[in-house]
Amino acid sequence: MTGVSQTVGPILTHVVPHARRSRWLFVFGSATLVAFLLQVVTGIALSSAYVTSSGQAYDSLHFITANTLGRIVRGLHYFGASAMIVLIGAHTIRVYLMGSYKYPRQMNWLTGTGLLLFTLLMAFTGQLLRWDQTGFWTAVVAAEQAGKAPIIGNWLARFVLAGSVPGGATLSRFFAAHVFFIPALMFVFIGVHLYLVLYNGISEPPAAGRPVDPRTYRAWYHRLLEREGLPFWPYAAWRDVVVGFGVVIVIATLAIALGPPELGRPPDPTLVAASPRPDWYFLWYFALLALMPKWSERWVILLGPLIFGLFLIFLPFVSPRGERHPLRRPWAIAIVICALAVIAHYSRMGHLAPWSPRMDAPPLPAEVVGTTSGPIAEGAQVFYDKGCEFCHLVSGYGGIRGPDLSNVGDRLTRDQMLTRILSGAENMPSYAGNMTAAEQEVLLAFLESRHQFQEGTPARPAAMR
Amino acid sequence: MSTVLFAVFPYIAVITAVAGSLGRYLGNRYSYSSLSTQLLENRTLYWGSVPWHYGITLILLAHLLAWLAPGAALALLGGGLRLFVIEAVGLALALYAFIGLLMLIARRLRRNSRVRQTSSPMDWVLLVVLLVQVASGIVIALFHRWGSIWYLSTAVPWLWSLVRLQPEVSTVAALPAIIQLHIVLGFLLIFLFPVTRLVHIAVPPIPYLWRPYQVVIWRTDPGRRGPIATGALMAGTPPPARADAHRPNGGPAMASPGAAPPAPARAEEGEPVTRRDFLTRLSLAAGGLAALIVAIPSIAFLLGLRRSPQVWSTVGRIDEFQVGETRQVAFADPTPLPWAGVTAQTAAWLRRDTSDTFTAFSINCTHLGCPVRWIGTANLFMCPCHGGVFYHDGRVASGPPPQPLATYPVRTRNGNVEILTSPLPISGH
Repeated sequence: MTGVSQTVGPILTHVVPHARRSRWLFVFGSATLVAFLLQVVTGIALSSAYVTSSGQAYDSLHFITANTLGRIVRGLHYFGASAMIVLIGAHTIRVYLMGSYKYPRQMNWLTGTGLLLFTLLMAFTGQLLRWDQTGFWTAVVAAEQAGKAPIIGNWLARFVLAGSVPGGATLSRFFAAHVFFIPALMFVFIGVHLYLVLYNGISEPPAAGRPVDPRTYRAWYHRLLEREGLPFWPYAAWRDVVVGFGVVIVIATLAIALGPPELGRPPDPTLVAASPRPDWYFLWYFALLALMPKWSERWVILLGPLIFGLFLIFLPFVSPRGERHPLRRPWAIAIVICALAVIAHYSRMGHLAPWSPRMDAPPLPAEVVGTTSGPIAEGAQVFYDKGCEFCHLVSGYGGIRGPDLSNVGDRLTRDQMLTRILSGAENMPSYAGNMTAAEQEVLLAFLESRHQFQEGTPARPAAMR
Repeated sequence: MSTVLFAVFPYIAVITAVAGSLGRYLGNRYSYSSLSTQLLENRTLYWGSVPWHYGITLILLAHLLAWLAPGAALALLGGGLRLFVIEAVGLALALYAFIGLLMLIARRLRRNSRVRQTSSPMDWVLLVVLLVQVASGIVIALFHRWGSIWYLSTAVPWLWSLVRLQPEVSTVAALPAIIQLHIVLGFLLIFLFPVTRLVHIAVPPIPYLWRPYQVVIWRTDPGRRGPIATGALMAGTPPPARADAHRPNGGPAMASPGAAPPAPARAEEGEPVTRRDFLTRLSLAAGGLAALIVAIPSIAFLLGLRRSPQVWSTVGRIDEFQVGETRQVAFADPTPLPWAGVTAQTAAWLRRDTSDTFTAFSINCTHLGCPVRWIGTANLFMCPCHGGVFYHDGRVASGPPPQPLATYPVRTRNGNVEILTSPLPISGH
């Protein structure tokens, strides 16, 4: 045992700087590690029952979920993934804002960049392994996105699908990536990352007006440790343990209370009534793909991740020295705020998906139409049949892609409406040739009857999501 | 056995050649030379080197060009007379090269010759392999005639399957033994490339093709008779004398008394290969080779993609579909993996345009591949993911899709509608 204690002892009790007021900010890395270990354990448990077969994975997931403990383990793995995304995000932001990536910790940052990338890949492939309808179409969407690459795009798309069509070989490929390839890389990177934390020492909390000078930093850091350092165990480690415990408790509570995400319909490509949605951590990207200008899409898909990756990789090379304190680095604060704002805003948009036609919207009820016979009622039927209602809201019913038409009769003349219906727009099909004169007539009658104050109209129900 | 010879060894040979050549070029640049022995013996060299190089270069080019452009080669050889002439010229060139090679070997065998003294074992290995290779080529040309034609349908498909990382050895595995020997020796020569004087073929930037010929002199250094630097694997068996081309040099070196050599070579090139260097390189080479032996089949297997064959698949009877109607149909992967289950299916939207014409639309939105839904009453396809909308004929009506819905080939046969099973359409391609 002396060999073990002689090895582990100095590691545990290595001296770390006193983190003072920001001491609770140094816990995110270890909390991410806790989430990772939870993912490893629950992942191994799941893989012992999961069947890596495009035809049977879905059934095996039902088998796992039907078992009480299997359900909990699936829940742990799902919320563990979410926790890991949140925590590695918090850790990245903390390190970036505190300038901890500067000399001598550039390699810490680069290995961390790799781990961030791998975590995102794990989240993506993991969501796909939940091989329901969404999982299947996620594989197709991944292939189509890879297909946007110049020259090798087509080959890359085939590589993602493991063949010319999605099928038996597709799932195995993602399983191997999720279970062996990426985790193996993560173990290596985590090992190097932790070694570097010990080798370079954890960064001390930054102070405004105390820039990093590579010529003197190490000597200064060692004097700092000698002056006011504390043994990691237990004076700093206890906070890591407390937060890690909290992370596990929260994940377990959510897993037991909410359970794993429901399995959708089976991964049958002939069930075309599918509405694939990514899990929450990629909703913002999903929204971005819908909302950005059409011409920019190809470039965003290709260059967006590339620029993000290059920014992370080149950061420690571009600014290895100088001020670390965020108050002296306003651009860092601005970048973090912008990134968080974009992700928050687009996540919300992705959740609403206003661009998505509501193909499940019910026909307008009679109390909204105001009548059950005559041209207005026939027009309401045309409004539904022609798919207008999938995109336009009327008195709380319908989609929200196009303008709300609840009181369009107050805003537009008959001619203006007819022009728009026949000509269409960037995000509206043209109905010229797709509607008889009689249909146009009753539709216009219906639309003209839409006024803000209508006799006998009940209070609107809440807007349908 | 044929898998090892024709699917594994070629990769090992090519990768060794590339890695070894790079290593030698970066690590021991001044050994990148033909190590010309012109100064030691010139008369036989002339009669050996010139026939050898002209003969073998043209023959090698013929092999390469027919591989790169098999269609053009086939067109060229189409006529009986042309085939005969080309075969005859090829045989003549091979004999020419063979004679040259015999002269070159004889020159090194001559007793007490200086060339013999400087020949390394690797030189002999190379010469013997080349001799057997050229001899086997001649035997093939004589006894397995019209090789320039059958080469196109045996070795060429196999070589291309190697390039595609999907080795398909059946076409070469059935060939007579002498031809297989010729093929294996060809890759053996590629394998030997970086450790012999063959590297002179690839002396960057290959100026020897157009520069005037030059005289090679040897710079003898009486103070030091150490082993010469001729690359890692030759280092263990140093020739007795120190031989340097005065600069990276290749091709048939012919006498030109007028051309004076430039400045002497740098000192570093003659430094002895120490035990430390040798062990370093040995470890790197052995470790790298071991890693490649494991990595190449694994990665090549991973890169090998399953190609589903394209067959006409019946999706229904013609009279099941109304004119102007669009309906969902499904067809199955003709060779599904047994465990593919429902994922072996593909859905399509089939529209009967007129009484005898159909259009089969892919259900994949051209934006990002989500399944579009046909809304019959509205005469529109709508995509649930990002709101793409298409008209009944597949044109984009609104939203982000960049191009119309893809279509599958469709035909009618014996009262049935058939769709050609096709790869997943990747938009933008």
